[in-house]
Amino acid sequence: MMGAYFQNIKNGFTTVFEGMSITFATMFVRKETVQYPEVDITSNKTIAEKYKGSLMGMPDNYRGVLILENGLCTACQICQRTCPIDCIAIENAKCDKTKPTDKDGKPVLNRFTQKEAIKTRALTRFDINIAKCMFCGLCEAACPTGAIHHTKQFEMNRECQEDLVLRFVSDGEKEIAVKRAEEIEAEAEAKKAAKAEKEKEAKEKEEQEKGAEE
Amino acid sequence: MDATLISLGLNPMPAKIISMVIICLIVLIAFVTIGGVLTVVERRISGFMQARLGPNRVGPQGSLQWLADGIKLILKEDLIPDGADRTLFKIAPYFCLIGVFGTMVVFPWGSGVMVADLNVGLFYFISITALVVFGVLMAGWSSNNKWSLLGGMRAAAQIVSYEIPVGMGLLVPILFSGTLSMGGIMAVQGWAPWEWIVFQSPFTVMSFCIFFIGSLAEANRTPFDLPEAESELVSGYCTEYTGFRYAVFFLSEWANLFVLGGLTTAVFLGGGNLPDFLADYTFLSVLVYMAKVSVIIFVVIWLRWTLPRFRIDQLMNLSWKYLLPGAFVAFLGQAIYMLITQHIPAVQTTVAVLMFLVFVFILIRFFIRVRVNMREQQIPVNSPASDVPLT
Repeated sequence: MMGAYFQNIKNGFTTVFEGMSITFATMFVRKETVQYPEVDITSNKTIAEKYKGSLMGMPDNYRGVLILENGLCTACQICQRTCPIDCIAIENAKCDKTKPTDKDGKPVLNRFTQKEAIKTRALTRFDINIAKCMFCGLCEAACPTGAIHHTKQFEMNRECQEDLVLRFVSDGEKEIAVKRAEEIEAEAEAKKAAKAEKEKEAKEKEEQEKGAEE
Repeated sequence: MDATLISLGLNPMPAKIISMVIICLIVLIAFVTIGGVLTVVERRISGFMQARLGPNRVGPQGSLQWLADGIKLILKEDLIPDGADRTLFKIAPYFCLIGVFGTMVVFPWGSGVMVADLNVGLFYFISITALVVFGVLMAGWSSNNKWSLLGGMRAAAQIVSYEIPVGMGLLVPILFSGTLSMGGIMAVQGWAPWEWIVFQSPFTVMSFCIFFIGSLAEANRTPFDLPEAESELVSGYCTEYTGFRYAVFFLSEWANLFVLGGLTTAVFLGGGNLPDFLADYTFLSVLVYMAKVSVIIFVVIWLRWTLPRFRIDQLMNLSWKYLLPGAFVAFLGQAIYMLITQHIPAVQTTVAVLMFLVFVFILIRFFIRVRVNMREQQIPVNSPASDVPLT
């Protein structure tokens, strides 16, 4: 009975001794806190190596901010029509018939028909309103060339709502595309006129021949 | 100071009153500032002990956080719950405040630096701090809230229980110095650690431990913070308090921490005593005193973030079954020890130096343990078991 009493006192002191040594040691060991917005956690190697937890980032199928690869886009507007809340705005203009290629220079296949994608229209506007976007991923699923897709980017705080509208076509690119479209239009007009004249001539010739036969 | 004012042409009576008001203001502001700064210090230290950073945004390294907190609390609405006893609810925080700030009358800021060296200083000290329990109980009762009431009742039971071991623990230094005045108790001690009361004999060490544990409980510090046990009682007696009244509770709690450190230092750890050749430098004495108080405050904070909270029955067990008998043994033992050795100062000195050496030995053991733990903590959490060395 008395032994247990003194054992309690001894335990009290030894456990406090050990506990205090642990907390005191912790005071001088590295701090785990990462002061997040000021420290770039994804590209800072020293943090990634020393961090005890997981800094692997977002999973592969994470749906973050949308991004457009202008080179792949054929301005087909499927994504705009698929979007349930109309956060994508696309305007386009005629352009030369080209086949979009990916980074390695290979032609891009249409994901649904397995044929080579053909670009006949150029973008003059491609805006995504991230403030509206609900990250459903339908546009990504519908895009035939894989031009629009979600990134793993989740930091989307901006100063104001206007900054949340992502513009993928700059004013310069728009001007060039519009000018080219006008040229193409003019060329087509000229071609049409030339063709019409040719036909007219041919018709006249035919009529003349007919007249001669008679 | 009043002499200066008289020389400026004032009558002695107004001069005395003016100088008293000035001294009171200085001490009051010092206490409020210390109480505020201690909140930040505590939060920073707790952060470090949990491998966090703690508040570090307001001012350099978060040093102005207490001002921001104070401003925020003052700007908040002062709510009084429906069904509360309005008078009691309103005055309760000030009882706590008076209980703690009343001690500044005899608070020794260093050798010879105090507002008044009462000849019943220590007695005054422990009786004025008992006012805190009134404040806490009133707050708990008047809030019309079961959590508050439970907190208040717990506080009353706890503080009344622990007042006895604390008082008994203080009897040993009183026995040793033969006086109740704070200045007198500090005067019998020297500057060297083996001249402090704490290392005089095994019994003084015992009484120091009992006094220290007891005053932790009296100051409502973890592991004895049952009156405001967050996990059980939301916030105990201050659940219903908001704004400035809440700030007053907190201020008195942290000022109490400082008072605890000050009393321990003055009574057991030699106060602000300096070696003889430095005795004229009062400022140095205040510095030494403050350094000792800081160490004690650090230990208290450190204990808070080391130990889990007691259960209420364990708390009572500790007080009545362990601390109180221990205090009796320490008191009797010290009396007998002093009776035997009163004519042989050589034995007293030897025992004191021996106790100090034992303390140093424990301290060295402690730091060895700290090194082991530091090495252990550097092992990444996810590392396989084979990488973890056995200690």
